Amino acid sequence: MPISNPEAKEYRGRKRKRGSSSESPHSPPRRRWRTDAERWIYSSKLLEALRRLRRSSPAAPPKPRVVREAADRALAAAARGRTRWSRAILSGGRPLRLKARRPRFAAIAAGQPRKGSTPAMPGRMRPTPTAIRRRAKALGRLVPGCRKASFPTLLEEASDYIAALEMQVRAMSTLAEMLSGSSRSARLGASEQT
Amino acid sequence: MSSRRSRSRQSSSSRITDEQINDLVSKLQALLPEAGIRSNERVSAASVLQDTCNYIRSLHQEANDLSERLSELLATTDASSAQAAIIRSLLM
Repeated sequence: MPISNPEAKEYRGRKRKRGSSSESPHSPPRRRWRTDAERWIYSSKLLEALRRLRRSSPAAPPKPRVVREAADRALAAAARGRTRWSRAILSGGRPLRLKARRPRFAAIAAGQPRKGSTPAMPGRMRPTPTAIRRRAKALGRLVPGCRKASFPTLLEEASDYIAALEMQVRAMSTLAEMLSGSSRSARLGASEQT
Repeated sequence: MSSRRSRSRQSSSSRITDEQINDLVSKLQALLPEAGIRSNERVSAASVLQDTCNYIRSLHQEANDLSERLSELLATTDASSAQAAIIRSLLM
Protein backbone atom coordinates (compact mmCIF):
# COMPACT_ATOMS: atom_id res chain seq x y z
CA MET A 1 0.00 0.00 0.00
CA PRO A 2 1.73 3.16 -1.11
CA ILE A 3 2.11 5.66 1.59
CA SER A 4 1.43 8.97 -0.01
CA ASN A 5 1.27 12.01 2.06
CA PRO A 6 -1.67 14.08 1.00
CA GLU A 7 -2.57 14.02 4.65
CA ALA A 8 0.48 16.08 5.42
CA LYS A 9 -0.84 18.90 3.30
CA GLU A 10 -4.32 18.39 4.57
CA TYR A 11 -3.04 18.42 8.08
CA ARG A 12 -1.44 21.78 7.58
CA GLY A 13 -4.62 22.99 6.03
CA ARG A 14 -6.61 21.62 8.90
CA LYS A 15 -4.69 23.64 11.35
CA ARG A 16 -6.05 26.71 9.73
CA LYS A 17 -9.54 25.45 9.19
CA ARG A 18 -9.90 23.84 12.57
CA GLY A 19 -13.09 22.33 11.35
CA SER A 20 -15.29 19.39 11.98
CA SER A 21 -14.11 16.00 11.69
CA SER A 22 -14.49 12.91 13.31
CA GLU A 23 -13.41 12.15 9.81
CA SER A 24 -10.63 9.89 10.83
CA PRO A 25 -7.12 10.33 9.61
CA HIS A 26 -7.63 13.98 8.96
CA SER A 27 -8.53 14.72 12.51
CA PRO A 28 -6.89 17.70 14.16
CA PRO A 29 -3.95 16.92 16.40
CA ARG A 30 -5.88 17.21 19.63
CA ARG A 31 -8.37 14.65 18.56
CA ARG A 32 -5.99 12.36 16.81
CA TRP A 33 -6.28 8.77 17.90
CA ARG A 34 -9.33 9.68 19.91
CA THR A 35 -12.13 9.65 17.43
CA ASP A 36 -14.45 6.72 17.06
CA ALA A 37 -13.87 6.64 13.35
CA GLU A 38 -10.15 6.19 13.79
CA ARG A 39 -10.68 3.39 16.22
CA TRP A 40 -13.11 1.61 13.90
CA ILE A 41 -10.81 1.93 10.96
CA TYR A 42 -7.89 0.68 12.98
CA SER A 43 -9.92 -2.24 14.31
CA SER A 44 -10.91 -3.32 10.85
CA LYS A 45 -7.34 -3.00 9.56
CA LEU A 46 -6.17 -5.06 12.48
CA LEU A 47 -8.79 -7.68 11.84
CA GLU A 48 -7.76 -7.85 8.20
CA ALA A 49 -4.16 -8.31 9.23
CA LEU A 50 -5.08 -11.06 11.65
CA ARG A 51 -7.13 -12.86 9.06
CA ARG A 52 -4.22 -12.67 6.66
CA LEU A 53 -2.05 -14.21 9.32
CA ARG A 54 -4.49 -17.04 9.80
CA ARG A 55 -4.69 -17.67 6.09
CA SER A 56 -0.95 -17.74 5.71
CA SER A 57 -0.56 -20.42 8.35
CA PRO A 58 -3.88 -22.16 8.79
CA ALA A 59 -2.49 -24.97 10.87
CA ALA A 60 -1.06 -22.95 13.69
CA PRO A 61 -2.73 -19.97 15.31
CA PRO A 62 -0.66 -16.80 15.25
CA LYS A 63 1.58 -16.45 18.24
CA PRO A 64 1.03 -13.52 20.58
CA ARG A 65 4.21 -11.84 19.46
CA VAL A 66 3.07 -12.01 15.87
CA VAL A 67 -0.29 -10.56 16.83
CA ARG A 68 1.40 -7.75 18.70
CA GLU A 69 3.64 -6.97 15.78
CA ALA A 70 0.70 -6.91 13.42
CA ALA A 71 -1.13 -4.59 15.78
CA ASP A 72 1.90 -2.31 15.99
CA ARG A 73 2.36 -2.24 12.26
CA ALA A 74 -1.27 -1.41 11.71
CA LEU A 75 -0.97 1.34 14.28
CA ALA A 76 2.12 2.74 12.64
CA ALA A 77 0.43 2.64 9.25
CA ALA A 78 -2.46 4.60 10.67
CA ALA A 79 -0.04 7.34 11.63
CA ARG A 80 0.66 7.94 7.96
CA GLY A 81 4.33 8.61 8.28
CA ARG A 82 3.93 11.71 10.33
CA THR A 83 5.78 10.58 13.38
CA ARG A 84 9.16 9.16 14.12
CA TRP A 85 7.83 6.27 16.14
CA SER A 86 5.55 5.13 13.37
CA ARG A 87 8.29 5.29 10.76
CA ALA A 88 10.59 3.35 13.05
CA ILE A 89 8.03 0.59 13.47
CA LEU A 90 7.36 0.34 9.77
CA SER A 91 11.02 0.21 8.90
CA GLY A 92 11.21 -2.74 11.21
CA GLY A 93 14.46 -1.79 12.82
CA ARG A 94 13.30 -2.33 16.34
CA PRO A 95 13.12 -5.84 17.74
CA LEU A 96 10.09 -6.49 19.84
CA ARG A 97 10.85 -7.18 23.45
CA LEU A 98 8.03 -8.75 25.32
CA LYS A 99 9.89 -8.47 28.58
CA ALA A 100 11.31 -5.21 29.73
CA ARG A 101 15.04 -5.25 29.57
CA ARG A 102 17.68 -2.62 29.99
CA PRO A 103 20.15 -2.84 27.14
CA ARG A 104 23.46 -1.25 27.95
CA PHE A 105 26.35 -0.68 25.66
CA ALA A 106 25.82 -3.93 23.85
CA ALA A 107 22.81 -2.67 22.00
CA ILE A 108 24.41 0.60 21.06
CA ALA A 109 27.59 -1.06 19.94
CA ALA A 110 25.64 -3.51 17.85
CA GLY A 111 24.47 -0.55 15.88
CA GLN A 112 20.74 -0.84 15.71
CA PRO A 113 19.65 0.83 12.53
CA ARG A 114 17.62 3.92 12.99
CA LYS A 115 16.02 5.04 9.84
CA GLY A 116 15.01 8.62 9.68
CA SER A 117 16.26 9.74 13.03
CA THR A 118 18.28 12.84 13.25
CA PRO A 119 21.36 12.20 15.32
CA ALA A 120 21.55 14.50 18.26
CA MET A 121 23.69 14.29 21.29
CA PRO A 122 21.59 12.75 24.00
CA GLY A 123 23.36 14.48 26.80
CA ARG A 124 23.16 17.80 25.12
CA MET A 125 20.03 18.95 26.80
CA ARG A 126 20.88 22.25 28.32
CA PRO A 127 20.92 22.78 31.91
CA THR A 128 18.94 19.70 32.82
CA PRO A 129 20.00 17.85 35.90
CA THR A 130 21.03 14.24 35.72
CA ALA A 131 17.69 12.87 36.85
CA ILE A 132 15.88 14.38 33.93
CA ARG A 133 18.51 13.26 31.51
CA ARG A 134 18.38 9.73 32.81
CA ARG A 135 14.61 9.52 32.64
CA ALA A 136 14.58 11.06 29.22
CA LYS A 137 16.93 8.37 28.06
CA ALA A 138 14.65 5.72 29.45
CA LEU A 139 11.75 7.32 27.65
CA GLY A 140 13.75 7.41 24.46
CA ARG A 141 14.18 3.68 24.70
CA LEU A 142 10.48 3.13 25.10
CA VAL A 143 9.30 5.21 22.19
CA PRO A 144 10.33 3.62 18.92
CA GLY A 145 12.86 5.49 16.87
CA CYS A 146 13.56 8.05 19.54
CA ARG A 147 16.71 6.90 21.18
CA LYS A 148 18.67 9.79 19.86
CA ALA A 149 15.90 12.30 19.49
CA SER A 150 16.19 15.72 20.96
CA PHE A 151 14.26 16.43 24.09
CA PRO A 152 11.42 18.39 22.50
CA THR A 153 11.06 15.83 19.74
CA LEU A 154 11.07 13.05 22.27
CA LEU A 155 8.27 14.60 24.27
CA GLU A 156 6.23 15.29 21.20
CA GLU A 157 6.67 11.78 19.93
CA ALA A 158 5.86 10.36 23.34
CA SER A 159 2.60 12.30 23.48
CA ASP A 160 1.48 11.03 20.11
CA TYR A 161 2.69 7.54 20.85
CA ILE A 162 0.74 7.40 24.10
CA ALA A 163 -2.46 8.49 22.43
CA ALA A 164 -1.94 5.92 19.70
CA LEU A 165 -1.22 3.16 22.19
CA GLU A 166 -4.37 3.99 24.10
CA MET A 167 -6.39 3.65 20.95
CA GLN A 168 -4.63 0.41 20.13
CA VAL A 169 -5.48 -1.06 23.51
CA ARG A 170 -9.11 0.01 23.24
CA ALA A 171 -9.43 -1.40 19.74
CA MET A 172 -7.76 -4.68 20.61
CA SER A 173 -9.96 -5.23 23.63
CA THR A 174 -13.07 -4.45 21.62
CA LEU A 175 -11.92 -6.92 19.02
CA ALA A 176 -11.30 -9.51 21.68
CA GLU A 177 -14.78 -8.96 23.07
CA MET A 178 -16.33 -9.43 19.69
CA LEU A 179 -14.32 -12.49 18.89
CA SER A 180 -15.10 -14.11 22.21
CA GLY A 181 -18.74 -13.24 21.84
CA SER A 182 -18.95 -14.64 18.36
CA SER A 183 -17.05 -17.75 19.30
CA ARG A 184 -19.48 -18.37 22.09
CA SER A 185 -22.47 -17.98 19.85
CA ALA A 186 -20.82 -20.09 17.19
CA ARG A 187 -20.31 -22.89 19.62
CA LEU A 188 -23.93 -22.68 20.70
CA GLY A 189 -25.30 -22.42 17.20
CA ALA A 190 -22.77 -24.70 15.56
CA SER A 191 -24.64 -24.82 12.32
CA GLU A 192 -22.83 -22.77 9.69
CA GLN A 193 -19.18 -23.25 10.38
CA THR A 194 -16.89 -23.10 7.41
CA MET B 1 28.39 22.96 19.92
CA SER B 2 26.97 22.01 16.57
CA SER B 3 23.53 23.23 15.88
CA ARG B 4 21.42 20.53 14.40
CA ARG B 5 20.46 20.99 10.84
CA SER B 6 17.14 19.38 11.15
CA ARG B 7 13.70 20.69 10.68
CA SER B 8 13.82 22.24 14.05
CA ARG B 9 10.51 23.58 15.12
CA GLN B 10 12.08 26.03 17.44
CA SER B 11 12.25 29.41 15.89
CA SER B 12 15.53 30.72 17.17
CA SER B 13 18.37 28.61 18.39
CA SER B 14 18.61 24.89 18.71
CA ARG B 15 19.20 25.13 22.42
CA ILE B 16 16.28 24.55 24.64
CA THR B 17 15.38 26.89 27.43
CA ASP B 18 14.13 25.77 30.77
CA GLU B 19 10.74 27.22 30.05
CA GLN B 20 10.45 25.22 26.90
CA ILE B 21 11.30 22.10 28.79
CA ASN B 22 8.79 22.87 31.47
CA ASP B 23 6.18 23.69 28.93
CA LEU B 24 6.65 20.45 27.06
CA VAL B 25 6.75 18.49 30.26
CA SER B 26 3.51 19.97 31.49
CA LYS B 27 1.86 19.12 28.18
CA LEU B 28 3.03 15.58 28.61
CA GLN B 29 1.78 15.53 32.15
CA ALA B 30 -1.68 16.41 30.91
CA LEU B 31 -1.78 13.14 29.01
CA LEU B 32 -1.03 10.93 31.93
CA PRO B 33 -3.84 9.09 33.66
CA GLU B 34 -3.65 11.11 36.85
CA ALA B 35 -3.67 14.41 35.06
CA GLY B 36 -6.86 15.51 36.73
CA ILE B 37 -5.61 14.82 40.20
CA ARG B 38 -2.21 16.26 39.81
CA SER B 39 -2.85 19.23 37.65
CA ASN B 40 -2.41 21.75 40.43
CA GLU B 41 0.67 20.26 41.91
CA ARG B 42 4.10 21.36 40.97
CA VAL B 43 5.49 18.07 39.91
CA SER B 44 9.08 17.84 38.93
CA ALA B 45 9.95 17.19 35.33
CA ALA B 46 11.81 14.09 36.34
CA SER B 47 8.77 12.54 37.95
CA VAL B 48 6.59 13.36 34.97
CA LEU B 49 9.10 11.61 32.77
CA GLN B 50 9.13 8.70 35.17
CA ASP B 51 5.35 8.49 35.15
CA THR B 52 5.37 8.68 31.40
CA CYS B 53 7.77 5.76 31.18
CA ASN B 54 5.66 3.75 33.57
CA TYR B 55 2.52 4.53 31.67
CA ILE B 56 3.99 3.52 28.34
CA ARG B 57 5.26 0.32 29.87
CA SER B 58 1.84 -0.48 31.25
CA LEU B 59 0.26 0.20 27.87
CA HIS B 60 2.78 -2.12 26.26
CA GLN B 61 1.92 -4.74 28.83
CA GLU B 62 -1.77 -4.37 28.12
CA ALA B 63 -1.10 -4.70 24.43
CA ASN B 64 0.88 -7.85 25.05
CA ASP B 65 -1.86 -9.34 27.19
CA LEU B 66 -4.44 -8.52 24.58
CA SER B 67 -2.23 -10.08 21.94
CA GLU B 68 -2.16 -13.27 23.94
CA ARG B 69 -5.90 -13.19 24.30
CA LEU B 70 -6.42 -12.50 20.61
CA SER B 71 -4.04 -15.29 19.74
CA GLU B 72 -6.07 -17.72 21.81
CA LEU B 73 -9.33 -16.45 20.42
CA LEU B 74 -8.10 -16.75 16.87
CA ALA B 75 -7.22 -20.33 17.60
CA THR B 76 -10.59 -21.25 19.00
CA THR B 77 -12.96 -19.17 16.95
CA ASP B 78 -11.39 -20.47 13.80
CA ALA B 79 -11.77 -16.94 12.49
CA SER B 80 -13.96 -18.23 9.75
CA SER B 81 -14.78 -15.78 7.07
CA ALA B 82 -18.40 -15.70 8.12
CA GLN B 83 -17.66 -14.56 11.62
CA ALA B 84 -15.04 -12.13 10.50
CA ALA B 85 -17.42 -10.66 7.98
CA ILE B 86 -19.98 -10.14 10.70
CA ILE B 87 -17.47 -8.44 12.91
CA ARG B 88 -16.26 -6.30 10.11
CA SER B 89 -19.72 -5.19 9.23
CA LEU B 90 -20.18 -4.13 12.80
CA LEU B 91 -16.94 -2.23 12.79
CA MET B 92 -17.51 -0.46 9.55
